[in-house]
Amino acid sequence: MASNFRSAQGANKRKTYFLLAAMGLLTWLVAYAALTYFGAGTTTFVVPLAVGIALVGVWGSYYGSDKLVLTMTGARVIQREDNPELFNLIEEVVIASGLPMPKVAIVEDSAPNAFATGRNPDHALIAFTTRILEVMDRDELQGVIAHEMSHVANRDTLVSAVAATTAGAIAILSDFLTRMMWFGGGRDRREGNGNPLLLVVSLAILILAPIAAMLLRSAISRRRESLADATAVSFTRNPAGLRRALETLAADSTVVRQKSNAVAHIWIESPLDGKAVSKMFATHPPIEERIETLRAMESLGPSQ
Amino acid sequence: MEFFVIIGVLVLLAIFIVGQYNRLVRLNISVDEAFAQIEVQLKRRADLIPNLVETVKGYASHEKSTFDAVVSARAKATSATGVADVAAADGMLTQALRGLLAVAEAYPDLKASTNFLALQEELSTTENKVAFARQFYNDNVRSLNEAVATIPTSFFAGLAKVSARPFYEVEDPQSREVPKVTF
Repeated sequence: MASNFRSAQGANKRKTYFLLAAMGLLTWLVAYAALTYFGAGTTTFVVPLAVGIALVGVWGSYYGSDKLVLTMTGARVIQREDNPELFNLIEEVVIASGLPMPKVAIVEDSAPNAFATGRNPDHALIAFTTRILEVMDRDELQGVIAHEMSHVANRDTLVSAVAATTAGAIAILSDFLTRMMWFGGGRDRREGNGNPLLLVVSLAILILAPIAAMLLRSAISRRRESLADATAVSFTRNPAGLRRALETLAADSTVVRQKSNAVAHIWIESPLDGKAVSKMFATHPPIEERIETLRAMESLGPSQ
Repeated sequence: MEFFVIIGVLVLLAIFIVGQYNRLVRLNISVDEAFAQIEVQLKRRADLIPNLVETVKGYASHEKSTFDAVVSARAKATSATGVADVAAADGMLTQALRGLLAVAEAYPDLKASTNFLALQEELSTTENKVAFARQFYNDNVRSLNEAVATIPTSFFAGLAKVSARPFYEVEDPQSREVPKVTF
């Protein structure tokens, strides 16, 4: 289980590709089910429409993610003079990562947390709650900053936008088609697709696909969190800093007030109550598991 | 028909060669950039030193040998060129600064002064920046050297006039010395 950050990065990247491929396969399966159930006429109309709606919806929030998230979380962009020590720390990680300097924002909140967003490294924004700056020491905060900068380096806003688009398209598609089924309209299936077994399977796919898409989307989000932890270690070469930061977050029971599902995935620690959502739907891996992985990296010594 | 197949293969081959060539040149440039970043951070550190020495002098004027060590190490560091020289001077200056900060430990008034505290924060962040710049440089050298040594990029190293580059290794006497044990 002991793995260094390079192999951990590789494994998480491979799993992301696998999950994204599974997402693509699922879309194809839904389109196929629609084709069997409704025939070519309806499908060629409905599939592009659903993908189009999802694309328009997600693209806007992806492109303007840095500004949109600011309004959704109530974060306030700060300058160097406002907190020179925080800027010093961020500049250190910027040098270690070779990325451009991001915008920095503060969220007035009594829970320690942080997030990163922005469509590309040139439009990146990282934000910290006022509380996290109070409770963490230099090394811990450096680990948190490295985790957030890793999201920027790994283009996680793009990855989650792709996942959201696919999941969204599948949800819209399934919604359309199940509605059409109730009205029995649009069904031009007397084209030789009368096999009842095939119809039942298609129906099952159409109904279950949105849940499967949501599961895949959560799984992708969890992979990206683990990847960000590993990349953070590649920046700071100090797994202990991030590990202690996560321990502090785990010990703290307060959660950010703002609990919107829409932005849950962007925080370093999930703001959603761990018990309310099952592990399968969680956007973050269990924090104990992340701590264990980092502890394993620590035991490999500084050169690893 | 055969003519088009041959043209197609040649085009693919050209794309491949250009790709390999550009990759090597890009890696080489990123090593240059990473080294420039080390120099920027070392210069920042050198610029902090006169101020730091003046501040410490105000409280501990008789620690002359420590000041001299820092000043001469700084002079060497600012005039060094080339990876090996810069790295050696960098290591000496790091050592001299440690000595200076150790001196400061003995003067509570100095340690409490706001000027010194601000300088200490600047110095520790600059030390970290120097360390991260070194690490970033070495990571880039690692990718370059890997590309120069492995197939297929290795075939194009001569063509792109790119060769393996030296790592930035700091001689840190403290990490070599066996700790003294006194009973």
